[in-house]
Amino acid sequence: MEPVTAQVLAKDRVGEWIERLMAEAEVIAPVLAHGGDEVFAPIRSPGEVLWEFTNPVHPPKRFLLPQTDPVVAIRRGDNGYELEAIVDERRRVLLNVRSCDVAGLAFLQHVHAADLPDRSYLERAAATTIVCLSCPDPCPLGFCICSGAGPFAREGYDLQLSDIGDLLLAEIGSERGGELLAATDGFFRPATLAEMAQRQQLEEKAKQLLSEQTCHFASAMRRVSTGRVAEDLWRKMSDWCLECGACNFVCPTCFCFSVKDRHNGDGWLRCRTWDSCQYPAFTLEASGHNPREERRDRIKRRFFHKVSAQYYQRDGMVGCVGCGRCVEVCLGTTDMPAVVAAIRKGEWHG
Amino acid sequence: MTVVDAVLTACPFCPCGCGLYLQCDDGKPSGVAPSRHHPISQSRLCARGWGAHEAPAWGERLTEPLVRRAGGLTPVSWGEALDAAVSGLNDVRATGKAVGVLGSARATNEENYLAARLARGGLGTGDLDSCLRGTYLPLARGISRGSGGRAPQGSLVEIEESEVVILFDGDLARSHPRAAFAVMQAVARGARLVTVSCLRTQLARLAATHVRVAPGGQQEVVAGLIASVVEAVAAESMTERRAPEPAAEMAEDVKEAGRWYAQAERASLLVAPEAAVGNSGEALGFALASLSQAAGHLGRAGSVVLPLPVRWNLRGACEMGVGPDVLPGLRPLDDQAALDRLARAWGRPPASPVGRDAAAMLGAVGGLLVVAEDPPSPLRHERAAREAMSQLDCLVVLDAFMTPTVRAAHVVLPIASHAECEGTCTSADGRVQRVRPCASPPGSARPGWLVLAELSARLDLPSQFGSAGEVLAEICHVIPAYQGLDHRALDHGWGAVVAPKSDARPVESFPQVAGAQRAAGDGSYLLTLDGVFDWGSDPLVALAPTLSRDFVSKRKLFAGGFLEMCSEDAEALGVRPGWPLRVKSRHGEATLPVMVRRELEPGLLLVPFAFREQAEGVLGGDDVVAVQATRPAG
Amino acid sequence: MDSLFLPGVARILDVRDETPDTKTFRVVLRDRAAHDGFEFQPGQFVELSVFGCGEAPFCIASSPTRPEYLELTVRRAGQLTDALHRLGAGDEIGLRGPCGNGFDVAAAAGKDLVFVGGGIGLPPLRGLIWNVLDQRERFDRVTVLYGARTPNDLVYKDELKRWAERSDVEVLVTVDRGEPGWDGIVGMVPVLFDRTELHPRTSLAFVCGPPVMITFVIQDLLMRGFADHAIISTLERMMQCGVGKCNHCAIGHRYVCRDGPVFSYSQIKELVE
Repeated sequence: MEPVTAQVLAKDRVGEWIERLMAEAEVIAPVLAHGGDEVFAPIRSPGEVLWEFTNPVHPPKRFLLPQTDPVVAIRRGDNGYELEAIVDERRRVLLNVRSCDVAGLAFLQHVHAADLPDRSYLERAAATTIVCLSCPDPCPLGFCICSGAGPFAREGYDLQLSDIGDLLLAEIGSERGGELLAATDGFFRPATLAEMAQRQQLEEKAKQLLSEQTCHFASAMRRVSTGRVAEDLWRKMSDWCLECGACNFVCPTCFCFSVKDRHNGDGWLRCRTWDSCQYPAFTLEASGHNPREERRDRIKRRFFHKVSAQYYQRDGMVGCVGCGRCVEVCLGTTDMPAVVAAIRKGEWHG
Repeated sequence: MTVVDAVLTACPFCPCGCGLYLQCDDGKPSGVAPSRHHPISQSRLCARGWGAHEAPAWGERLTEPLVRRAGGLTPVSWGEALDAAVSGLNDVRATGKAVGVLGSARATNEENYLAARLARGGLGTGDLDSCLRGTYLPLARGISRGSGGRAPQGSLVEIEESEVVILFDGDLARSHPRAAFAVMQAVARGARLVTVSCLRTQLARLAATHVRVAPGGQQEVVAGLIASVVEAVAAESMTERRAPEPAAEMAEDVKEAGRWYAQAERASLLVAPEAAVGNSGEALGFALASLSQAAGHLGRAGSVVLPLPVRWNLRGACEMGVGPDVLPGLRPLDDQAALDRLARAWGRPPASPVGRDAAAMLGAVGGLLVVAEDPPSPLRHERAAREAMSQLDCLVVLDAFMTPTVRAAHVVLPIASHAECEGTCTSADGRVQRVRPCASPPGSARPGWLVLAELSARLDLPSQFGSAGEVLAEICHVIPAYQGLDHRALDHGWGAVVAPKSDARPVESFPQVAGAQRAAGDGSYLLTLDGVFDWGSDPLVALAPTLSRDFVSKRKLFAGGFLEMCSEDAEALGVRPGWPLRVKSRHGEATLPVMVRRELEPGLLLVPFAFREQAEGVLGGDDVVAVQATRPAG
Repeated sequence: MDSLFLPGVARILDVRDETPDTKTFRVVLRDRAAHDGFEFQPGQFVELSVFGCGEAPFCIASSPTRPEYLELTVRRAGQLTDALHRLGAGDEIGLRGPCGNGFDVAAAAGKDLVFVGGGIGLPPLRGLIWNVLDQRERFDRVTVLYGARTPNDLVYKDELKRWAERSDVEVLVTVDRGEPGWDGIVGMVPVLFDRTELHPRTSLAFVCGPPVMITFVIQDLLMRGFADHAIISTLERMMQCGVGKCNHCAIGHRYVCRDGPVFSYSQIKELVE
């Protein structure tokens, strides 16, 4: 076990600390919306922030990768068109993000930095501070332990908070995290060994609660990577999918998009917009040819991207952080654990 | 509590009644998020729901009032436009010609109510309709009459708990995904699903029994089901007495389905809209109510009898009185109590003649006020409707989006889209929900209720509404079923459910269920239209970049139309996808390219509703025709 | 770091009609330095913007040996290409790229080259053909085989003639359906294989065209003794970003826009949906 440098903050001073954060950046945290819905949203006061909550169904990825994301402004000038890349460097703090979402953001960071770096994502990410809130009570649908993404984050955060009674323990995950603590001098003090041990106990307890392996990626990966999943199985599954695309949209690691121009005054905004590989025309070519016309081929594609060894090698992790959101939103029954189980067993319940 | 950058609103596409958050960025709708605790959607949304922000942000929007001058639509002030609309309609009336009003399934309850109020109260006309009413109201009315007003009953969520689901399927997975999910959930939990359809749809593939019917043949199946239920019930409860003679030649699958239905504690009857039901909707509805009653499901908690309107607020539009033969609240035109109630609220007695329906109105009226609709798109005879629209002396159109009807208008009044307006809508299962704005309307566009109220005032119909809420207050005052609406639930909860109409008349006797008109056996194939509504013609889909790609792409590739058949038939005829096929009926013939669709039963040819004009020569106004199909020479 | 999505503005110098639905656009980047710095390989593509309509990928049809302009041959097949076809000399478009891998010209040195094009599949090969002809001495025999549906659908008719007139190039053209006035060969592209002398062991075959044509041609070449790695083709997929991010053009874990569009047949065989 590596030594963890950590500090603690008295809970009754959290509000003040958040106010400090709000003075420097837009603070985004889980809050209650209509009818008790938990959502990530910019806060107006520290009191809105939720500390005990079911992880919002809509992940915080939209603050780094919005559903409609303007990337280029196109204007007609006196001497022809004028184009300008749109860069969003607004400082943001994502507060109380769970470890699964931290892993998801790390995944997105990786894919946008790899090969040709995507500046519009990376600059937004660079201006964003990630404060994780560890999960002592695992959520009912989550299976983060199966993909190593929780219940406590191991990397990808600037700070990780753990609730240890009257105190919040803050682990520093990055230089920026350290600076954040240094800048708020007087709020935090170094954690004692006893406090560190308390945090450790929380993690052990949470892991025990999650100990049942519910999503066996390894065996699914072997079959998916080598094409050893019967076509008929994909076909059967496809009857239980209503191709809503929600699994993509709420997935912390999904990032497929299209590029389109939207009217904006006299010119246009070129926008990157969320797209779903489950939509029938995702691969439709201008000629009318569509290599993935059948829904079963699209489902197969989704799970190849998520759990194949080929992508595992490329991205360094399976494309699933075990947040369980696809289980919650699936307009059908083809969520990650269900499909992984079907691949492993070679049969579908239907 | 509200969050900074999103509002909870009702999904604006199908009538399942899902809730969603519309996000707004830089003054424009920019995204969608699901609602975890919404009782219908429960964290889920279909592809259309996920694209609810697109059309308002990306589509061609109307931003200023326009009046036709010297052939072109010219921007004018709101005052000029409203005056032009009113004087245009009044001029038509002065020449003795009729004026009509069209509400819309795409408009809120408030807009539809004010449209009905303006027609019967302001213009004194009964020529009042919405183009899709005929696909829903007869069915709902038949169910209501057959059940003594106790049905339609049940909610989409209750379907999930059913032990037996009988689904009269158009293609629910495409038309009403949330309802299809409910059916899927029921099956996953062990329910027996019976699908009745001329298509082997996605849900049919999950069914315990799929009853294959010819297009328009649902009533025979219902009759068979009733017979089976009666037999099953008799066998159970009348063991002493002699059970009735089993119905002759009842198909075994129907018989078994009837038994399941009769024996289930909780069972659902679901009707997806289908073109071929046509005018027999009321009889079918009555028969369905009888079926439910015979099996003891009528009025039973947990059992569902639900017809699904084809589009968003179709149920609401009907209930607001948008129809040629009803008053608000679906009251008959001779209901004196309702007339008195309306007269007191309006300060003027409503005109109560029976008017013309949407199709008959076009071509008969000289002036027309259209709210949020491109009438030819949903009407069966598009070309004739379009022609009739172009002949109008005065066409006033309220819409948020540019449509062909807007291009033909004399006066264009730009209104807020679903993303910018306040109001309510009513779902298939009677849940009234708030529509909330996430952005301001573009340019000088105004809320539809406000524009209709201003038009009404100019027609000397007292209309002092300060907000959409005040319109709803009047609705709740004059429509008994809406009287008890729980406003707390509307504002802070997830909407309020309207009770089944308590003031329905007693069960009426109804003629025996008649067999659907069968096509004469002079051909080897049956040809019919697929669907009664084309999402591709709906601006919320057509103007949304992602949605139009996925829902309209095939239409774009074969812009001249196509017909669909199963691969067995295509093989037998020796045609490949894209090849032309000649179809010939007693009315005439047409040649269209073939597309293969595995959902079709052998012997059935489908033409998408969008291409009904291309097949009109063959259909000759019928819903189903027998055709000979051949490969054209050469 | 520049934005991956920021196009350069390019001016249309000239538009030529190739067929009733296909035009060739000659363009330069408006910024002279950007134009001079625009280095590409034949077979690479650009993301072409028609402002207001978005962007779409098109293979560069000109040769890097003729750097004073870029040429793009575009068939009208949708909203963006409709809008592009309405533009003329002096109008501005956006160009982003070059994208993709391109043909490996160096690896072709000393070999016999067989170019097999079908319909609108000739443009990607054209840049390579000019590239080869402009340094003709580096290669052995050069054969251009081209087919289209009808004589009307043949692109680069003048250039085909000019190439045919050269003694160091063999050019054979066929059409699926002849028309009055067509006295050339009639039949699908593979009929041309019997009319020329193929040297499978010393040749590289470059195949571009509609997916069905590519399939047939590759099967034919294999039967005639071409090795998998000696058959080089381009794959067409729906693309959005052109930079390996958007996932539209993924086949397995390969991306047509980054790993392709040029693939050898041995690579194509490895691609699994």
